[in-house]
Amino acid sequence: MNYKAIIVDDEKELRTYLKSMLAETWPQLEICGEAGNGKEALKMVDAFAPHIVFLDIKMPGLSGLEVAKNIAGICRIVFITAFDQYAVEAFEREAVDYLVKPVTKERLRQTINRLKKQLQSSPEPPADLTRIVTQVLANVQGNKNADQYLQWIKTQHKESVRLIPVEEVDYFQAGDKYTLVITAQGEALIKKSIKELSRELDPQKFWQIHRGTIVNVSRIENVGRSFTGRGILKLKDRSDALTVSRQYLHLFKQM
Amino acid sequence: MHSFKRDFKDNIMMKEQYETKFIFKYWSNIKNDFIDFIYVIMICTALSFVVTIIGPIKNFLVNFVVSQSFGITVAAIVFWSLLIFKPRTWELLLFIVVIDVCCAVLIGLQICIFILQYFFDIVLDLQANGLGLQMIIGGILFSFFGVYFFMTKMRLKYRGQMIDREKTKRTDMEKENLSANLKVLQAQIEPHFLFNTLSNILSLIDTKPETGKSMLLDLTKYLRTSLSRTLPEKTTLTQEIAMIKAYLDIQKIRMNERLNYKIDVPDDLMQHSFPPMLLQPLVENAVKHGLEPKVEGGEIFIRATQENNILKIEVADTGLGFSDLDKPGFGIANVRERIGLLFGEKGRLIIEENNPHGVRATIEMPINEL
Repeated sequence: MNYKAIIVDDEKELRTYLKSMLAETWPQLEICGEAGNGKEALKMVDAFAPHIVFLDIKMPGLSGLEVAKNIAGICRIVFITAFDQYAVEAFEREAVDYLVKPVTKERLRQTINRLKKQLQSSPEPPADLTRIVTQVLANVQGNKNADQYLQWIKTQHKESVRLIPVEEVDYFQAGDKYTLVITAQGEALIKKSIKELSRELDPQKFWQIHRGTIVNVSRIENVGRSFTGRGILKLKDRSDALTVSRQYLHLFKQM
Repeated sequence: MHSFKRDFKDNIMMKEQYETKFIFKYWSNIKNDFIDFIYVIMICTALSFVVTIIGPIKNFLVNFVVSQSFGITVAAIVFWSLLIFKPRTWELLLFIVVIDVCCAVLIGLQICIFILQYFFDIVLDLQANGLGLQMIIGGILFSFFGVYFFMTKMRLKYRGQMIDREKTKRTDMEKENLSANLKVLQAQIEPHFLFNTLSNILSLIDTKPETGKSMLLDLTKYLRTSLSRTLPEKTTLTQEIAMIKAYLDIQKIRMNERLNYKIDVPDDLMQHSFPPMLLQPLVENAVKHGLEPKVEGGEIFIRATQENNILKIEVADTGLGFSDLDKPGFGIANVRERIGLLFGEKGRLIIEENNPHGVRATIEMPINEL
């Protein structure tokens, strides 16, 4: 029987290349469609019900893994990747079919032979692919979301919105209504309160030292004691001194 | 925390080691000795004026001779004894200075009596009104004041030097870091980009060999700069733009109609020297974070303008833009750091939201310092 396949890759040349390689190594395979992104791929799977999907992992919009999660039970998937160490390791371990770019003929032939065997022995796709993909996806996203802390401070500047990377902020100081953002370049106002900031900033990099002050740890020069028992914090390359209230002094206890 | 503590300790050790060293260092320079000698004479002259007005003897000549002989004797004895004994601590130094001053004042007294008698025929009556005692006490007090003055003067000068040295040391270190960073930046060629490009070339060799060839040439151009171990400190804007064009042309083949770009740099600005790899990270960011992940793709504008001796180069994209949680990436931090080191306050990197979407990064730098 003749099998049907679709090729999903956001790069047109690479689809053409894989198509020509497949035409040489598996002439009987019918390529019934080519998709340039995840959404198109899902539509084509619906429309053509292919046996095999050649699926690039890195794509705009829906990634290959996200597509795979939806179609793993419907058809067989051969992942294609230029470089995804983590995914490749997982595929290798779980014996999932995958190709690395640039695709070589020998490798493609091996994959095809295996696919042919699998398709002959059982027409149904392996059930545990969904599990594997979900797991890989969770791990990839887990890596990405490992530190979901605020990275940019967006401030209004005349007509435009400026983005300041948090690393550049020396400290945040609470004002009447707004919060003052102090950087080496100057000052800006934001609406976020100190309370919100202390929740959203990376606690490893930013310490609250006072009810109204959050300071960038990497910008601290030294901390001294005042007569009243509070701390006096000096920043690098800045003349202003910040007060560390007693409840936060433990941060600076000598290690 | 650890490092604060260590720095502090280092500082204390430095102080102990060099407590009085700066004095000998300063005085071992003949020029400084001469300047200090002039100071001594000037101070003594000024002192004799003051003493003539408020002191018991109303004869300026007498006061002048007395204060000069006191001053020069004290200065000479303190100077030589310190240079000979080189006391390591302040206590030792004070001890020597006290002995020096007491001896020197007595010797200075003898000298001035001798000079006044021999050259000017003036005899001082030391017994009258305790004049001798007054002179000795006054001499000792003024001598201590003088020694203190010179020590402070040297210490201030030395402290200034120390601060300058620290500063240059710090900038040197920063520069070293920077070149290390630049290497890391260069090493950050994305494997995704590289392998995808190679796959594209492989495909194009069969289908469109001419396009394949030009893509391979572009890749070579890109890698030549990205991988070269030593970058010249300055290239021209022409070279940087050529490298960016090579990169964008590669991406254009990969992304097809999803990527369009426009480069608008006036010819006269093209010839300006420009730090290598300063614009490139911004363009790569625009592609990687802006256009690549966006299904419809978008456009990139690179524009250079000159305004009152400020060169402004803008990289704008119509891509996804940064969400609050997106990491700024190593490239942007590196560009900003380098601008700071190269141009100080006069240069900056501004990142803004582009209208209606995307990011606009602008480098501003003084044109005459390029």
